Amino acid sequence: MWTQVSQSLHESMARVISRVATLLPGILAFILAVLFFAAIAWLLAWLVRTFLNAIRIDERLARGTDAIAEWSPSYTPTTLITRVVFWCVVLVGFLVGLEAFGASSDNLISARLLGYIPNVVGAVVLLLLGNVIARFLSRSVLIGAVNMNLHYARLLSLGIKWLVLVLTAAMVLDHLSIGAAIVDLAFGILFGGIVLALALAVGLGSRDLVSRSLEREAARPGGEAMPEEQFRHF
Amino acid sequence: MAKLELSEETKAGMEEVREADLLIAVAVPVDAEQLRAAATQAILGAGKPALTALRTVVAFPGNSGVEAAVQAKTDLEPVQTDSGLRFVPYALPASSPSRIPWIPAASTYQALFGMARELGVSACAVIGLDLGALQTNFLAPMMAPVIEKRCELAMPLYALGKFDGLLNSSILAPLTRALYGRRIRFPLAPDFCFSGKMIPDLEVALQRTAAQGQSIFWPATEAAVRDCRLCQVHVDTRHMPPSDGVDLSTVLAQTVGPLFAEMATNAPLWQRVRGSQAVDTLGVAAVPPADGAAADTTPMLETFQLGFRNLQEVWALVLPPVTLLELKRLARASTGRFHLPDELWVRIVYDFALAYRLRTISRIHLLGALTPLYLGWVASYALEVGNASAAEAEQRLEKLARAYEEGKPYLLSRWRWPDRFNP
Repeated sequence: MWTQVSQSLHESMARVISRVATLLPGILAFILAVLFFAAIAWLLAWLVRTFLNAIRIDERLARGTDAIAEWSPSYTPTTLITRVVFWCVVLVGFLVGLEAFGASSDNLISARLLGYIPNVVGAVVLLLLGNVIARFLSRSVLIGAVNMNLHYARLLSLGIKWLVLVLTAAMVLDHLSIGAAIVDLAFGILFGGIVLALALAVGLGSRDLVSRSLEREAARPGGEAMPEEQFRHF
Repeated sequence: MAKLELSEETKAGMEEVREADLLIAVAVPVDAEQLRAAATQAILGAGKPALTALRTVVAFPGNSGVEAAVQAKTDLEPVQTDSGLRFVPYALPASSPSRIPWIPAASTYQALFGMARELGVSACAVIGLDLGALQTNFLAPMMAPVIEKRCELAMPLYALGKFDGLLNSSILAPLTRALYGRRIRFPLAPDFCFSGKMIPDLEVALQRTAAQGQSIFWPATEAAVRDCRLCQVHVDTRHMPPSDGVDLSTVLAQTVGPLFAEMATNAPLWQRVRGSQAVDTLGVAAVPPADGAAADTTPMLETFQLGFRNLQEVWALVLPPVTLLELKRLARASTGRFHLPDELWVRIVYDFALAYRLRTISRIHLLGALTPLYLGWVASYALEVGNASAAEAEQRLEKLARAYEEGKPYLLSRWRWPDRFNP
């Protein structure tokens, strides 16, 4: 009996080793493809950066529009374009590596992974965009509300931020085909809840604001200057 | 650099005129009949023979596709003076709808200076904001030093109340003075006069301004940078910019933003300037308007305190810790003890200018975040000069301007080595 057990273990070990051995060329091909394309990406990024610097794209875009700089103030247009080129080529290398891995190992994992990669890429892009937009909008609302002397500025800003983040999360999960109906339902409840909470908060806050404003207006005799008009800024 | 070509409508309007000595360039849409009356009064009523003897052309915005009911009438009859007073409409260039309507765009100045060049005038008076300058004793005292070649650019010295033009007094004027070394009280005055000799220089500067996407033109800065002869003339003109539909943060963003942008452009020049020189001041100061009721600073202090509670994360990206600490102390102070020291305010403005250049955060956000701090300065100033006379308030502003000059080494250090540790 021990002989049979030992034989069975030896056979399974041999099968695993042979499977790993068949996968090794694929893994090696994957690593090589990624490294090779990373080198190409680095070279291309360098070429693009040199070209963009030569045509002074940053200065030209700064003259025309501030849109890129406004949404991404930490990075110049040259840096952004160079990075996009670099990561696109690295992604192509990753796909080529996966294809090579699949061809050498003839299993279904790589085929499924390959089919799923566009979803993952789309989801990552959505996530990044959603974060940037949420940050920009929440800061815009916060500053605008403070300048309008709204005491619930922070609440408004947080509300906007979470609205965009929840929307982004729902879109990302939908893109990844995770959760399906549950995500839709949860998103509806969360989104509706945030909007309702904001409406209640703003509505209840504004009630005092409006009544104070009306009281001030009623108490003010006709023709008297508002206090703000005592100061002329320009 | 190629000179700006005038539009066909403008050329058609100028066909009959060809040459002139003086151009009165109206830069904002106005009522044509009111303009005719005001210009006639300004030329004939000035009582200066030298002015009536000049061949004068009044350029005003005519039909150009820009929708404004007041521009409908463009066929104004010439006025009989010694040498005639003619009215020529020009095409007002379309500008961004988000701009403040009462500040002329750089493209408008381009059209006007192009006309001045084509007419070969020896002097040009720009009238901005409204017809206030033509309806008061402005033209004769402003034109005299330019025509007599005593200066190339004459800027007005308005007689303002102590709570008027606060954005100019707190940032625009003292910062321009500290940067370019000329004590110009109103660097962004809507009305100014310049000699025909300056036109090529101003046109080049305007082309650069337009190429950089800037919308506001700073004639006094250009004159200071090019070392032109500058003078200031006391006038009794008083403008009342309409406050409807334009909030303070928009005004601040659209005036301070371009000034910060000019700083970045002229950095090699202003870094060499130390101290400041007085500018020739002509005329007799007009009596400033009487003060109204005691100023209520409560809303501004509330905005400052609200800003401190909510915008610390934004301010922390721009301001060093020691400044934030001082702001924290200020935010806790009671109304009676609220005082924003000049040195602190100057450092705040310089740090914001640097952040504008480095794009530390979005420029829209940056200038928006400056508004509560500016209101804090206004509240502090109002509490300080509440019972003071206009002359004492002016002395107080002179002290602030000197603080800007004394703080310039801080700006230079931060500008040259922005990554250096700044506690």
